[in-house]
Amino acid sequence: MSGLGPALLNSLEMGLLLFVIAVGLNIVFGVLNIINFAHGALYMLGAYFGYTLISILGLPFWIALLTAPLGVAIIAVLIDRLMLRFIYDRDIADSLLLTFAIMLIISESVRSIYGSNIQAVYPPAILDGTVSLLGSPYPIYSLFVIAMGLIILAGLWYLFNRTRVGKIMRAAALDRDMAEALCINTRMVVTGVFAFGAWLAGVGGVIAAPMRTIDPGMGEKIIIESFIIVVIGGLGSFPGALIGALILGAIYGFGGRYFPEFNLLLPFLGMALVLLFKPTGIMGKGANA
Amino acid sequence: MKQFNAKNLMVSTVTAATLSLGTGNAMAEEPIRFGAIYILSGSAATYGEFAQRGIDLAVEEINDSGGILQRQVEVLYEDSQGKAATAIQAARKLAYQDNVDALLGLDSSGVAQGMVPTVPELQKPFIITHAATPDVTGNLCNEFTYRISVNVPQNQKAAAMIAAETDAKRWTTIGPDYAFGHQTWEYFGNYLKEMKPEVELMEQTAFPRFGAEDFTPFINGIMDADPEGIIISTWGGDLVNFIRQANNLGFFDQGYEVMFTVGAATEVLDALGDQMPEGVWLSTRYWYDAYDNEANTRFVEAYLDEYGSAPSYNSEGAYAAIYAYKQAMEAAGTTDGPAVAKALSGMTMEAPNGTVTFRPGDHQAMVSPNWGISGPMHPEHGIRTLTDIRVFDPEEVARPVEETGCTL
Repeated sequence: MSGLGPALLNSLEMGLLLFVIAVGLNIVFGVLNIINFAHGALYMLGAYFGYTLISILGLPFWIALLTAPLGVAIIAVLIDRLMLRFIYDRDIADSLLLTFAIMLIISESVRSIYGSNIQAVYPPAILDGTVSLLGSPYPIYSLFVIAMGLIILAGLWYLFNRTRVGKIMRAAALDRDMAEALCINTRMVVTGVFAFGAWLAGVGGVIAAPMRTIDPGMGEKIIIESFIIVVIGGLGSFPGALIGALILGAIYGFGGRYFPEFNLLLPFLGMALVLLFKPTGIMGKGANA
Repeated sequence: MKQFNAKNLMVSTVTAATLSLGTGNAMAEEPIRFGAIYILSGSAATYGEFAQRGIDLAVEEINDSGGILQRQVEVLYEDSQGKAATAIQAARKLAYQDNVDALLGLDSSGVAQGMVPTVPELQKPFIITHAATPDVTGNLCNEFTYRISVNVPQNQKAAAMIAAETDAKRWTTIGPDYAFGHQTWEYFGNYLKEMKPEVELMEQTAFPRFGAEDFTPFINGIMDADPEGIIISTWGGDLVNFIRQANNLGFFDQGYEVMFTVGAATEVLDALGDQMPEGVWLSTRYWYDAYDNEANTRFVEAYLDEYGSAPSYNSEGAYAAIYAYKQAMEAAGTTDGPAVAKALSGMTMEAPNGTVTFRPGDHQAMVSPNWGISGPMHPEHGIRTLTDIRVFDPEEVARPVEETGCTL
C-alpha cells in the first residue's frame, strides 16, 4: 500500500470541497424544511460567474472568490422572494418540484448564455504548480482547497455556536412559530438562510472552477453527490454534512486508488450500508431534525 | 407541437410554391425531413451542438443547390440526454409523429447499444455518426442501421499498429467505465498481442466512472504500477479534467508512450489550449487537417467561415451523413425508408474524410482512422496541431465481416 499520503490528502480535498457544497443544502433544509434541488445549479452559477470574472474579464481569482458567491446569493434572494416563499407552508414534495424546475431554468439559461462548450479556468499563479509532499508531487491548488474547506468549517462552527445570528437561525429551525412569538423576523431569517446556503454553493463553484471543467451539466453531477452525502450523514445535520462529505471523499480517494474496479459501486454501497443500519443517516435525528 | 408543425409546413409550402414559379412544380412538394438524435443537454451537450452545426451546414448547402430529388430539406432535433430509453422514445416520435424520412445521430455507445435493436420497427434508415461500439455493426446489426464514423476496432487496430512500433512493452489503460472504455482496451490489447506477442497487458487498469471529475487517485494508481505505454479512451470534459490533473502529477514526464484515442477532439483541444502536452499520440474520428481532398477543403472552409473555429469530428460525421442520404435517396429515386436503407448498402461516397464505402456485410463505413503527435499551437485556430499524421487504410484496419458477428 504505497502512496497512502497522497490518497489521504486527495480524499480530504474532495471531502472538504463536497462539504462546502453539501452543508449549504443541509442548512437550507434544516431551517426552511426545503430540499433544494437547485443547489447544484447554484454551485454551477458560482463556477460560471467565476469563469466570467477570471477568464472573460481578466480579473484576479481573489476578486472572483469574493464577489461571485455574492452574485449567487443575490440570485437566491430573488428566487426566494419571487417563487419559494409561496410554498413554505406546503408539503415538502412541492418544494422538490419547484426547485427541480428552478434547476432546469438555471441550467438552460446558462447554456443559452455561455453555450455548451467545455470551459476551463486557470488557478492564480501563486497557487499554480506542485510541491513535493510526503515524497510525491502534490498540486498547490489542492492544498488551497483543503485550507479553504477548513476555514469555512471553522467559520460555520463559530457562526452556529458563538454568534447571535447563528442562534437565531437555530431557533427558527427548531420552532418557527415560537421564534416569531419572540419577535424574531422569521421571514428575513428564511430569506437570509436561503441566500447563505446559495452563497456556500457559489463559494464551492468558484473554488472548483480552476480544478474542474465548467459545463452546463456540472450542477446535476454535484447535486447527486450532495444527496449521497446528506443521506450518509443525516438530513439537516451540520456535523452530518461534514461526516458524509469526508466519507464520500475517502470513498473516492482511497477507493479510486486501491479498488479502481469498484468505483461505480462504492458510493452507493456506502449509502446502502448507512440506510440499512441507520436509516436517518449517521447524525440524523429523523425528518424534522 | 402538432399545431406548430402544421403551421411550419404551411410556411414552407408557401415558400416552396413561391420558389416554384421559377423552378417548376416539383418544388411545391413537402420538404424531406431528417430526424437527428444527439445529446443536447447536460455535460456532453457540446457534442450534440457540434453535430447540429455539421448538419445545418450540409442542409444549407443542399437547399442552396436545389435540394434532394428537387425537394427542400429540413431537420428536426431531439435530445437523447445520453440515455437509451430517451433516444428510443425520440426516434419513435420522429418516425411516427413527425413523419421524418430518415434518422441519424447517437453520441454514446451505451445509447447506441440500447437503441439500435429498435430501429427496424421504425422502417426508416438510421446512420450513426458518432457512437463507436463495435456491437451496432456487429452482433446487433440490422438492415436499417449504418455507421459512417470510425468504430472502436478500426481505431484500435490503428492504435495497436503504432503501439507495436514503439519500444513500450508493458501496456495499460485508463478509460470510462462503460462499453466504450472497456471495448477500447479489449480490442487494443488483442490486436497488439497479435502483432507483438511479447508485450505485457497489465492487470492494473483504471476505469473511472464517466464524469468522475477527480482522476487523481486513478492517475496515482497507474503511475505506481509503472507501465511503459498507456492507451487512454477518456473523452470530453473528463479528458480535459484528466489532462490538467495529470499535468500536475507529472504524469507526462515519466517517459511513457501515451496514446489518447479521442484526444484530438477540437472541443478538448480548445478548452486545454497549451495545457495539452506536446509529443503524445492523439487520435479522433476525423482530424480536419489530415485529408487532402476536395470535399474536405470545401467542408473545412465553409465551417471556418460559418463558425469561426476548426471543425470537430462530430460535425464532420453528421455533415457527411446528410450527404450520404442525399446520394442514397437520389440513387433510389425515392425517400421510402426500406428503399433508401437498401441503397446505402455498398454505396461509395466522397466525404471530407476521403472515399467512404458502407460495407454490405455489416453496414460499417470503411473509413480511415487518423493518429498524430501533438505539436506546436496553431497560430490561428488556438489549438494544438498534429504532426506526423498517419491516415490508415480502411481495408487494413477493418475487422473481416466474419469476425463482426453480423449476418446481413
